[in-house]
Amino acid sequence: MSGEEEENAAELKIGDEFLKAKCLMNCEVSLILEHKYEQLQQMSDDPMNQVSQVFEKSLQYVKRFSRYKNPDAVRQVREILSRYQLAEFELCVLGNLCPETVEEAIAMVPSIKNRGRALDDEAIEKMLNDLSLIKRFE
Amino acid sequence: MFLKVQLPWNVIISAEDLDAKGLMLQRSIIIRLLDDFACKKATKDLGYFSAVTTLDSIGEGKVRQHSGDVLFPVVFSGITFKLFRGEILDGVVHKVLKHGVFLRCGPVENVYLSNLKMADYKYVPGENPIFLNDKLSKIGKDVTVRFMVIGTKWLEVEREFQALVSLEGDFLGPVS
Repeated sequence: MSGEEEENAAELKIGDEFLKAKCLMNCEVSLILEHKYEQLQQMSDDPMNQVSQVFEKSLQYVKRFSRYKNPDAVRQVREILSRYQLAEFELCVLGNLCPETVEEAIAMVPSIKNRGRALDDEAIEKMLNDLSLIKRFE
Repeated sequence: MFLKVQLPWNVIISAEDLDAKGLMLQRSIIIRLLDDFACKKATKDLGYFSAVTTLDSIGEGKVRQHSGDVLFPVVFSGITFKLFRGEILDGVVHKVLKHGVFLRCGPVENVYLSNLKMADYKYVPGENPIFLNDKLSKIGKDVTVRFMVIGTKWLEVEREFQALVSLEGDFLGPVS
């Protein structure tokens, strides 16, 4: 179906321009879009009328699928995940899906095991623990 | 996946919207850019355009000969949403058919999960039809499902994407 036969996010083959592009976690998008929406609310009585359908659907989606709501927690999640030499794409998948076990994390982001990085099970376990701590103290 | 992108764009401001005061011009450019951005909806390469975040630079305007409109090359940053093959995501079921279900995922409405790609689930007809497996795991309307993208297709006329997804893999299926 897709033109680029090579594309496979599980192996982190998503095209150079996207590998370098900054990916955003749902919780980050939620903060940005909600802020935009509040700005519109101050300017007009009927803000939903001012935004595109794509905006509206995106906002609904990220509100439902944000694991972290508090801006400080969102910042910490990115901070913690950045310590593990992950690609932007991998970082955001982990932040969005919040796997609970090492096994689940590898199933969600198979590429963390495939690349020549020394990300062993212990490191993944520590990463998941740190993430769940943020969630608990939010 | 949501992406942060920086894009060049040409904004055309009609002669009557031009104003000697710089502030108004900036405003016209932003309004026009937001309109264009909303109309465009999506592109094949970058996916759906969710929002403009910042207007990074405004180049020198060029007057167009016949209309007197002015074209400004601008650079802005925004957020887009694109599905990648092999990516794992959560979506919400919005339609249940005999041979599969349609899910919504971000701005994408046509995410199709065929019964062939969730072979252990059986269709259960009724007023609210559902798919059910041996472990009584249920896929029905408004249920959140975690899936893997196996293919995407860009529809040029509708300016939309369609995606095929699968539950074949560990830790995929309905999420409570």
